[in-house]
Amino acid sequence: MESAIQTVVKTFLSSTRGKENLDGKAFKKLIQNQLGNIMDDTNSSSAIKEMQQGLDENSDGKVSFQEYLTLIGYLANSLSQSKTGSNADAS
Amino acid sequence: MPSELETAMESLIKVFHRYASKEGKTGTLNRRELRELMENELSNFLKSQKDPAAVDKIMKDLDTNGDGQVDFEEFVSLVVGLSIACEQCYQMHMKKTGMK
Repeated sequence: MESAIQTVVKTFLSSTRGKENLDGKAFKKLIQNQLGNIMDDTNSSSAIKEMQQGLDENSDGKVSFQEYLTLIGYLANSLSQSKTGSNADAS
Repeated sequence: MPSELETAMESLIKVFHRYASKEGKTGTLNRRELRELMENELSNFLKSQKDPAAVDKIMKDLDTNGDGQVDFEEFVSLVVGLSIACEQCYQMHMKKTGMK
């Protein structure tokens, strides 16, 4: 579990390439490279743009580490729900 | 093929449900399950996990709806908190070693 947390952190840090936040381009790249399997619409630039704006709580046009974690938390929640949902169906 | 990040998220979900299904209500962690999870999965991150008061405190902090159980959403705040702590460590580490 610790290595999973490290992966979450490292993925963000390597995507920012030394900067503090993800700009639009870096965010798009992260979504497409890392989350293409669990998210729909990762090929649509406008969908990614919309998502970025949804995450951008302080409206600075960038995605901070906190805002990135909001996305991870949200995705983990919906993944977990779909998992327990399908388990309940199977049993 | 799942990416590294997707694999990591999946393993977080699996860990939660592995402990959550042990006893009591499945799908949530009670105090004992949370303690076991912290002892087994986070022993390097949380050195003070042997302190029973620390478990109580973390439990209280996580349990935002006050039902005495930690559900997945509440568990995510623990992961977020640990990630932030972990990120700050990295930043400090990089500053110390001198970033390229």
